[in-house]
Order: sequence, then structure tokens, then C-alpha cells
Amino acid sequence: MNMIIGEIVEFLGKVPPFQLLDEPQLTAVAHGVSLEFYPKGTLILKQGGKASEYLYVIKKGGIRVSRSTADEGDVTIDYRSEGDLFGYLSLFGGDKSRANVVTAEDTICYQIDRATVRKLLDTNEGVREFFLKSFLNIYIDKTFKEMHDKSMSTSSADRIMFTATVGEIASKNVITAPDSISIREAAGIMCQNKISAVVLTDANGLPSGIVTDRDLRGKVVARGRDVNEPVRYVMSAPLIRSDARDLCFEAVLKMIRYNIHHLLVVKDGAMCGMLTNHDLMLLHGNSPLSIARDIEEQQSVEGLAGVSRQVTGIVGMLMKEGARASSIVRVITEINDRLVRKLLEIAERKYGQPPLRYCWIAFGSEGRKEQTFRTDQDNAIIHADPATPHEADSAERYFSGFASFVRESLVQCGVPLCPAGFMASNPKWCQPLKNWKKYFSQWIAEPTASAVLNSVTFFDFRSVHGERMLAEELRDFLCSQLKDRKVFLGYIANMAIKNRPPIGFLKTFVVEKSGEHKDMLNMKIKGLAPIVDLVRLFALEKQARETSTLERIRALKGKHSIVTEYGEELAQAFEFIMLLRMQHQFDQVTKGNMPDNFINPETLTPLEKKTAKEAFHLISRVQDMVIERYKHMIW
Amino acid sequence: MVKGLFDIFRSAELLTVTIDPDAPISESRFVVLDTELTGLDQRRDSLISIGALRMAGSKIELGTYFDRMINPERVMNPKSVVIHGVMPSEVELEPPLKPILGEFLSYCKDSVLVGHCIDVDLFYLNKELRALLGRELGYPVVDTYSLYEWLTGRGVLRPQKASGGASTALFAIADDLGIPAASAHTALGDAYTTAQVFQRFLSMLRREEITTIGGLLRIGNPAGGGTRALPAGQMSNF
Repeated sequence: MNMIIGEIVEFLGKVPPFQLLDEPQLTAVAHGVSLEFYPKGTLILKQGGKASEYLYVIKKGGIRVSRSTADEGDVTIDYRSEGDLFGYLSLFGGDKSRANVVTAEDTICYQIDRATVRKLLDTNEGVREFFLKSFLNIYIDKTFKEMHDKSMSTSSADRIMFTATVGEIASKNVITAPDSISIREAAGIMCQNKISAVVLTDANGLPSGIVTDRDLRGKVVARGRDVNEPVRYVMSAPLIRSDARDLCFEAVLKMIRYNIHHLLVVKDGAMCGMLTNHDLMLLHGNSPLSIARDIEEQQSVEGLAGVSRQVTGIVGMLMKEGARASSIVRVITEINDRLVRKLLEIAERKYGQPPLRYCWIAFGSEGRKEQTFRTDQDNAIIHADPATPHEADSAERYFSGFASFVRESLVQCGVPLCPAGFMASNPKWCQPLKNWKKYFSQWIAEPTASAVLNSVTFFDFRSVHGERMLAEELRDFLCSQLKDRKVFLGYIANMAIKNRPPIGFLKTFVVEKSGEHKDMLNMKIKGLAPIVDLVRLFALEKQARETSTLERIRALKGKHSIVTEYGEELAQAFEFIMLLRMQHQFDQVTKGNMPDNFINPETLTPLEKKTAKEAFHLISRVQDMVIERYKHMIW
Repeated sequence: MVKGLFDIFRSAELLTVTIDPDAPISESRFVVLDTELTGLDQRRDSLISIGALRMAGSKIELGTYFDRMINPERVMNPKSVVIHGVMPSEVELEPPLKPILGEFLSYCKDSVLVGHCIDVDLFYLNKELRALLGRELGYPVVDTYSLYEWLTGRGVLRPQKASGGASTALFAIADDLGIPAASAHTALGDAYTTAQVFQRFLSMLRREEITTIGGLLRIGNPAGGGTRALPAGQMSNF
């Protein structure tokens, strides 16, 4: 292969959907490629003007896509940069261009002629799928889909998703009912048959829609609808179908795409079964549900240790199904909480009833419900205030043995010790409520370096097990202490702006300059931590009780001006970086390595780079606003 | 040698093309070429390889490149081996010149030829063409080095402080325009770099309101350029 073709093949090989092609296919495509240069400000495609003659792949530079509307003028729809495509819709979709495409900077594009693209569409299923589906999706979905594709192509596990057909695993007996029956009757049929969905048929006996548990909950119960109304008022229609011959992963894509859990399976035009997301999860053998059940059934630490090892598999599975990072961490948090609760129950049996009511709290990432692959132990005990010195003594004795047992059990289940000693087995972090209050007020009053560090760690606490009211009371106290604490908040603000994200992302990453992780990007320090720290600052400013970053953003919307304006974007940025990191760590764990936070920017696709760049810009912008607000206290 | 404006060779021995000077650049076809030589001695040295790319207006058609090595049937000059990294043994396996030149002529059909210091390439090409086919390339010619001098003269482009002659200037110019110099010093690689430089120049010329082929040929005339850092004495002979 000569250098001209080699250069094209190398570039396209990293760009979706061309990354799905093998080298001979890429080489064939390369022979239909031209290179064009457009100075900044060039109108490449004009809305309503001539249709595109090529599929454009941006080699360098960037373009702005806009649409002119009668009342709003020119509205920007999207920016695209290196590795992104444009011109597809009008290349095949009609006789004129749907949007304006103007270069936002000097831009070099590969142009792929219509015949070459046509041939690809005719011969390559993956390419067709890409264009038909993801091209129409909004930007963020495109990114998720791409990551999802990548994780599918890099992992050889779970091949069954790619080999089993929908027909093979779908439930064969589908319950149907006429769509004229009432909501109550439909619910009755579902209960009777112990099913989560019933397919409804019209007067001709053809499937017209489906009613699921979700419809009953969302459209009937939550809205107080009369259950004697015809069920067709609340059914979901049209029915999303899947061909019995489709591969399972195609069904998964459909479910993700339409955000549904049930697919009607058809064969030769006739209804032949129903596929639920549960069927797909069972395919893996380790669905979150089955693990949760397994945990409940265990009676020993050894048993729990065995189950907890499956959690890695769950993350992988959820990632492959294209779940958002926030959904994945929710599942993981739920599973880990159950594990901890079960361990505590075992400990309570072993050590007998505690002498005082207690609350087991988690903090750090566990407190924020943002754990993925298990991190260190971060836990503590708040127990009720002892009435007598004798009670204090017996509490100390009891909880020290109890907490040490839990600590060791967690280690056995694969949760390593906290190197900083933030564990309930440390007497300092196993205290009566009044002492916790003392800690908190002291940290706020005298924000020394260690006090600030303790604050950001412990203030993300939440109750996991035991007497929840103890944690609530401590939270009340904390909120009351935070009012008008400008100096303390100034320290927290300093922490939130300390790590500036790499801004020159697209051109040169700001990466580690030396050492083992030279040329790597620390996603935790540069990406996640700044968002977590900023959002925590906002939560403390407004005394919000939530501890997870996304919940804090939701709670502060409308209450905190920065969050009101940038909350949505911050949440998306957070999701994106979290998913990138999760994917990276999952790769490491499946290869038997210790997960870390160092990502080589070169391994990111152009789309990921672009999204990461936007996320970093956003973080930096919000940090600048914090600096402006706290300018007298920033050092 | 290519003379001025529309003085296209009329001789029957030459391959000529009639070009309408008012034709827009954007609708014209170009062949951007580069050759590698055994050395720069006009009597003894000859072609080793020809690389070329077609352009339709400013669009480079990457899939239809021309990339051929030639058996020069002569001993190679060891110095050029150092420059181009083409070993004599490699070249000897390639087919002889005559059919390749024929192919190249039809590749260039109806196009304006473009090259960086193209008169050197043309000298050797025409020398071989005369000897083997009794003809010469009579197509209109644009020299990117002349364009470069014109653009720097107008203050559109920053002059390069390149040392080592006009051909190394190509890479300095490319570098300044952010064009990566991919596998420099192969004929096709250099033609690719030249084509990308030419592409940028065309976009600059559009802003200078040079939009017709006539205007382009006027300022891109190889003889029209300023002082050449290339061995000028050798050029004067033809």
C-alpha cells in the first residue's frame, strides 16, 4: 500500500463507521477518496441548495451545522470536528441539502463519492446500521453508542450476544388481549399470568400496542386515571418489533434506542414471542437482579465473597448494553449496599445486639453513590449518645470488635483497606453523635488543611444501615453549621479550583509529564474530581442534603444560579467522563490488572476527544465563575 | 522550455493542449507531479521515479495517483541514493522507461501540469520523451515556487527563511501551512505535499481574485519566478 492510501486507511480506521471495516475494505474505500481544503467561513453546503455529492469526513478543522428558520434566523445545530462526518443525509436523502455547513476554521475534508458509500451500505451491515440509526441521534447518544460499539469490539467475552438470535431466547408464549378491555382487566391478566407486559390486539386481531408494568405505573397510578377506561388509552404504540432472526445485540440496541424493555418478536410477519431485557440479562447469567438475590441468600462471609466477585461482570454487561454511567453506578451502589448490609447483619448475629442504636455510614465515593470498581473502604459508625460512663464503655468495647470484624470481612469480599484509616474500626471514626457534631463544627470553624480534607471526605456521608435518624440528625446539624460560613466555604472553593482540566485538549493534551504515567491523562484528578468538588461546594453553599453529584445538581437547579445555568451540561460532562473512566477500568480489570485513572488520550476516538474537550471547557468555565465569586479568598 | 503566457508549443512534435484562458480554475484539471532523479547532471542523469496526483480544481483525487519506478538502465549516482533512499537493486527490478512514459502521457491528458520548481522535472521528462518517443510535454505549466514568490510578494504569505534551495523550501512552506510532510523524498510523497501546497495557494489566489486559468498561468509561469536557489547554471542551458 502506498503512503497516500495508507494515510487514508489509517485515518478512517479510527473513525466510525469506517472502524468497522477491515483493511482490504478500507483500501477499497480509500480509492474513492478526494481531499479538499476549505478556508474558514466557507459555505460547503447550503440549506435548500444542491444536495451533497459526497460523504465528508473532517480530517482537520471543524464545521458548524446550522438551519435557517423563518422566526429565529440561523440556528446552530451542531459543531463537528476531526473524525466527524457530514453530508450524508442529502447525499442519499434527497435532492437538496437539509442544513447549512460552514467551516468554523480552516478545514480539510476527505470526500468519499456516492458510489463508494453506496457500495459500503449495500455490502456492510454495520455501516448501514450506523447510518440508519446513530446518524440521526442527538450528539450525546452518538457518543454513547460509539463507546458501546467499542466495548463490544474489544471484548471477546459474551459472544453469545452476537451469536444467539432473538428467536432463540425470546419467551414463546405471548399473552394477548383485545385493546378494548379495561385497564383493570389488563392488569388482572398480567397478574394472573405473572407477566410484566401484555400485547393488545385490534378488532382484526393484529397487534396494536403493548401495556407494561411501566405504563400502569406511569400513566395510570401516578396520574390517578380511572382503571375502567379502555386499556388502549394507556398502551404504548406502535409496538417496537424485532425479527426472530436478528442477533440479540440488535435487540439490545433497539431497547436502548427506544428506551423500552419489551420487544415483540415477529417471524415471517407473524407474532411469535416477546423479548424482555430480563431475558437478555439472564443470557449473561449474572444480571444485577440475580446477584442481588444471591447476596440475600448468603449466610456467611465466605459466601458473600464469592458473590461479590461477580460485580465486575455486571459493570461489563451494563456497559455493553449501552447503559449510562449514572445507571451503572446506581446498580453497583445498590449491590454494594446490599453486600455491606448483609455483612453487618452477619456481624450483629455474631456479636449480639448492640448496646446502643447505631448507624453505619459510608462517605467518599461510596457516600456519593459513585463507586464503580470497588474502591477503598470508607465507612464509620455514629452511635447514640451514651447516658452513662458505663454505657460508653460497653459501646466502645462492642463496636471495636464489631467494626474490626466488618473491616476484615470487607477485605475478604475484595474491598481493600482505606490507607488513610477512614474506617469504623478506627476508634476516631466510631463515635457517639455528639462527638461527630463536635468534629464537624470544629472542622468548619478551623479549616486547617486536614480539617478541609476531612470535610470533603465526610460531608458526603449517607446512611447505609442501622438507625437512619442518627445520620439525618447529623446532616441537620451540618446544614445549620454551614450557614454564612464564608471563610470555610472559601477553603472548599480553593479545593474545587485547584485542579484545572486540560484545555488544549484537542491539539495537545495536558498530560502527566513524567513518571510511570507519562503522556497519560488522569481522568479522576483532571476530570471527575473538579466536577465533584465544584458541585459539593454548591451543595454546601445552599445546605443541600443530597450527597451524590447528580442528585446535588438536580436539587440545586433553580436554587443555585451556576447550577441553574450549567447544571445540565455539568451532569452530562460528569456522565461522560465517568463512563470513559469506567470503560478504561473495566478493560484493566478484565485483563487482570489493578484499575487506575490514567487514560492515554491517543486511544480516544475523535468523537470522544471532542466530547472530552467540551467537558473540560465547561469545567474550566465554571471554575472561573467560582474564582470570581471567591476572589478575595482565592490564593 | 516553457515560455510565457499562452505560448503553448505548436510544433507537431509536442503534445499540446488548447486551454481557454478564461476557463475558471475550479473547473480545470491539474496533474501535480514530482520526479526523482539519479542526480542533477543533465547529460548523465535520468529519471528514477515519477509520482503524480490529479486535481479537479482544488480537489485532490487521492485514489487515482500515478506512482512508478523506472529502470534507468544506467548506473546510479551514489549521492542520490543517499537523498532518495532508492537502491539501484530496487530500481533494476522495475520495467523500463518507455511504456511508463506512455502511461504518464495519457495520465496527464488535457491537464495543466503543476510542480514545485517544475522546470527541473520537465527537463528530464522531456529529455527522455525526446529520446524515446520523439515528443515533448507541451501542456501548460504552473510552478508552485513561482506562485509562492508571487504570494509572498503580495504579502499574502510569509516568506520562508529556508536555506538549501527551492526544493527544501517546499517543505518549509508546507510546514508553515500546517501540511505534514509525509514520506518526503519519494516522488509520490513530494507530489502529494506539492498538491496540498497548491491547494492552499489556490484558496489564497481566490481571495486575490485570481480565478481563471489564464491568470494562474501568468503568475505560475516557471520562468516568471524570482531568483532560484536551485543550481541556476544548469537551468540556463535549456
